[in-house]
Amino acid sequence: MTENTIQTVRVKKIINECEGIKTIQFNLKEINSFNYNPPKAGQFVMVWVPGVDEVPMSISGCDKEDNWSIAVKNVGECTAAIHKLNINDFIGVRGPLGNQFKIPDDASKRIILVSGGIGTAPLKFLAQELNKKNFKFILVEGAKVSIELIFKEDFEKFNQKDVKVFYCTEDGSSGEKGLSTETFEKLIKESSKQELSNTIVFACGPEKMIYEIFKICEHYNIELQASLERIMRCGCGLCGLCAMDPLGLLVCKDGPVFSLKELKQLEDFGKHKRDFTGKKVPLD
Amino acid sequence: MLEINISGLKLKSPIILASGILGVSCSTMKRAINSGAGAVTTKSIGPKPRIGYKNPSIIEAYPGTFLNSVGLGNPGIDDFVSEIKEIKNYNFPLIVSVFGDNIDSYLEVALKAENAGADALEINISCPHAEISCIGINKDLTHSVITKLKKRIKIPIFVKLNPNVTDICEIALASEKAGADAVVAINTLEAMIIDVNVKRPILSHGSGGLSGRAIHPVAVKKVYDLYKVLKIPIIGCGGIYDWKDVVEFYLAGASAVQIGTALYQGFDIISKINYNLINYLEEKDYHSISDIVGLAHQYKVQEVPDFD
Repeated sequence: MTENTIQTVRVKKIINECEGIKTIQFNLKEINSFNYNPPKAGQFVMVWVPGVDEVPMSISGCDKEDNWSIAVKNVGECTAAIHKLNINDFIGVRGPLGNQFKIPDDASKRIILVSGGIGTAPLKFLAQELNKKNFKFILVEGAKVSIELIFKEDFEKFNQKDVKVFYCTEDGSSGEKGLSTETFEKLIKESSKQELSNTIVFACGPEKMIYEIFKICEHYNIELQASLERIMRCGCGLCGLCAMDPLGLLVCKDGPVFSLKELKQLEDFGKHKRDFTGKKVPLD
Repeated sequence: MLEINISGLKLKSPIILASGILGVSCSTMKRAINSGAGAVTTKSIGPKPRIGYKNPSIIEAYPGTFLNSVGLGNPGIDDFVSEIKEIKNYNFPLIVSVFGDNIDSYLEVALKAENAGADALEINISCPHAEISCIGINKDLTHSVITKLKKRIKIPIFVKLNPNVTDICEIALASEKAGADAVVAINTLEAMIIDVNVKRPILSHGSGGLSGRAIHPVAVKKVYDLYKVLKIPIIGCGGIYDWKDVVEFYLAGASAVQIGTALYQGFDIISKINYNLINYLEEKDYHSISDIVGLAHQYKVQEVPDFD
């Protein structure tokens, strides 16, 4: 058994986060404690629904009992099948795969998490890890409408002294009206030079959104770690579908989390992906 | 020490990136070269875009051994021509793996790849999880395909052999007779994994091809057998993880090797192997890796068992 081997495991818990988004929990330690490899925030799993498909999913949490969570938005055939799963159904899991968000050693760093939509999933895991380590941080969560602001309850559990959460919705039904990038930019503009040089940003969401965050961070010379998504077969650096030109960095292996320095050199970032044939196509 | 010349291709290292591994974009192939590969082989390219099989299509069976059924997913030669041209800007030896729906389409893809700048072609007649495997199991069909290609193609032609046959030597000899410049042995072994909980094959296609550690001794045996009958060079492929695996292939009779599956451990594995190969050759006082081709054949093996 390795992280690239499919292990079939029963669905332990299902949480309805909102219309169209469900959290699925499973426990790999219970079935194979000998080779158990705990996940780090930023890593992902390949999830197999037998008879349907296998897709990459960010890990959205891992609790004290080693229950892993994935938050799944119903957007296609495989995610629809995941939404139809019942407790005790078997799914196949490979992981944890990929690199991770690098949490700074220095607790005095000013940390800002910016998410868009289902991209909040890996950042929720990161937020919980930061909170465990007693880091203070700011979280800017964005969604289309109020009900899609997921994990609100999880975020409310944090000590409000240490964690400041900004909610943004495109229709203004909750929090600030607009995109999370806009709220983020406002925060940055209001920051002192000293604050900016001490800031580190973690981002995940639609790539166009991450690209906006990237441009802001580049302009203000702020450290950034962003989690990207690409089509992949192997999840372990063999098929090459997730290669980012011109460096040839692999989202599955060298990523999914990339630094500002790396993103700067990736011409595909914000523009292109490869489809299942390997052909380069524009991002959605 | 590691420089070789295979069918006129001059390589800085005998280690070639195998087909199907990281071979869709120029950028990843460049990474393989920068890590010390002597040449790269692209993913198998066919006449038109092809999605391949659904996931799961690549999984690890045992540590270091993988099972895949990608199903020849590829962007099609017309799209891939631009990638070939881009690679040629960097001036490293490029082998384009090609396949077709029939003999004519093999030729069509091969000609387009040659015109775009490929330095050699690898003819995939052996993918175990796609319909083209029917060519690689038949010596007459193999002979026809290679003969037709050799008539029109000027660059070297390597034939990738299917190990899932009764007699691999028969197919290899048919390739040689048809004018193939070298053979690549071996493609993956047909295999299947069934999950005990959901009680069904894990790969979407059911079965796939086994690669990596577990198939290395199988590949060494095939190369050993082929060396006895062929005059053309053999490129050893299957389960290379370190320098010893490369030396083993050479001793069995290979004149170059391909690495694939082990790259899941990262590109650095290639430079490490090169470094250790030089150490081995220096220690044993050889001037070139080509000096050790087929050395295992000087020793007789016991052909008939002892009886009481």
